[in-house]
Amino acid sequence: MLKLENLTVCYGAVTALRDVSIAVGEGELVTLIGANGAGKTTTLKAISGMLPLAAGTITFDGRKIGGATPRQILALGIAHCPEGRRVLPQLTVRENLEMGAFLRHDHAVVRSDMERIFVKLPRLRERVMQVAGTLSGGEQQMLAIARSLMSRPRMILLDEPSLGLAPNITEIIFEIIDDIRRDGTTVLMVEQNALAALDMCDRCYLLETGRVVQSGTGDQMLDDAHVRRAYLGG
Amino acid sequence: MNGVMLGSTYALLGIGLTLVFGIMRIVNFTHGEFYALGAYMAYLFVAQLGVNFFAAILLATAIGMIVGAALEFFILRRLKTTDIDSVMLLMIGLWIAMQNTEQLIWGGVAKLIPSPFAQQPLVFGPVSVSPLKVFVLVTAIVLLIAFHLLINHTRLGLAMRSTFQDRDVASLMGVNVGTIYMATFALGSGLAAVAGALLGPIFLVSPTMGDLASLKAFAIVILGGLGSTVGATIGGFVLALVEEFGSGYVSADFRDAFSFLVIVAVLILRPQGLFAPKERVG
Repeated sequence: MLKLENLTVCYGAVTALRDVSIAVGEGELVTLIGANGAGKTTTLKAISGMLPLAAGTITFDGRKIGGATPRQILALGIAHCPEGRRVLPQLTVRENLEMGAFLRHDHAVVRSDMERIFVKLPRLRERVMQVAGTLSGGEQQMLAIARSLMSRPRMILLDEPSLGLAPNITEIIFEIIDDIRRDGTTVLMVEQNALAALDMCDRCYLLETGRVVQSGTGDQMLDDAHVRRAYLGG
Repeated sequence: MNGVMLGSTYALLGIGLTLVFGIMRIVNFTHGEFYALGAYMAYLFVAQLGVNFFAAILLATAIGMIVGAALEFFILRRLKTTDIDSVMLLMIGLWIAMQNTEQLIWGGVAKLIPSPFAQQPLVFGPVSVSPLKVFVLVTAIVLLIAFHLLINHTRLGLAMRSTFQDRDVASLMGVNVGTIYMATFALGSGLAAVAGALLGPIFLVSPTMGDLASLKAFAIVILGGLGSTVGATIGGFVLALVEEFGSGYVSADFRDAFSFLVIVAVLILRPQGLFAPKERVG
């Protein structure tokens, strides 16, 4: 469904990604793991059109999307839920969700989609008129994910959804992500919690200093000596 | 009454400036020149071309918006740098260029815009006001309300607020940030132009009128908190009332000095502005 081939991305003189090739199949949950600065976030940003490509191609459904704007990529069905939650702090919960559906014009369906989200995440309904900046970290992360879903994406890019959250909240967030996958939405997720990431994913890529150094199914990676030593604490 | 009338137009001026700064992070030194442009356009249409007074104000506003949009599209958008110092220098250059163009076309002598309203004041009990000022006040209030509806209850307003809060996220939500910038600059310029077109017939129109307008707009924005449109609205009224009461009760010679006293006081006591939005960090 999504294919990155020999992708290279630079920030000025610094090369952040070198020759990265990743494939995500329809309905899969694929994770990217690796240390800070390995290029995980950069990969997602390159896919969603936030960063220009220095070399390589990105194909979505057989269509080359390298060089497209974030707006065009969202319109094709890829939603990007950025790192650090990034809710719009002075907008209400409802307005944040409306922003998620910014490109849609089927307003009645948007309203029923919002209703479905409230059924799944009643905490957002309780706070619907509250400005998002006053929500707790976990609620903000729920809102950020829900906002990405409001565009009815076929694929969602999740960047560090558990970052800075308490373990019990993290569990809820992972349940939400599992739900998203069960609904048939393809997920590409960056996750610092390698164990949880490997546990729930279909396949995984390990990035080190801008390159893919290993890939495999979650179980293969869990058994891998290098992965265990470097990322799972033995 | 004078204070409230002046306050309503100051609010328009302040909102325009705070909008451009808040959304585009540009310190807009040309703001006062759009105010002057609005006044000159009103002069051009009413005094030189004999257009209806009300139509002339509309035309002046529209031209302010078009020139603003063009400035964004042909100049600001092409900049290779977003470095605030270089952009500021550019804006100062544009300010000087616009002011000199006005002087070149209309000369340095102040012009008077004739208004269709009677000179005879309207008398309500102990208060007497000129009909022109009532018109200015009513128009400005209507525009302020319209502006707040636009920002808070339309799709464009939602996109503008999102861009203001987080440009990257807004673009990820499908907002075309370039279009928002152009709309913002056009709207900001249009607000300055309409303020100029409204106040032009009350005061005189001269090429340097924009300087003081810019300074006062900055004062209003500082007073209200950078980037806060509600703050700018209230700041506009506060500034005008301080000026009116100051010149009435202390000395009219220091009229403009009072506004700057207010800025100094605000910067010392509450540098984030009186109505700065609350922020949650982390």
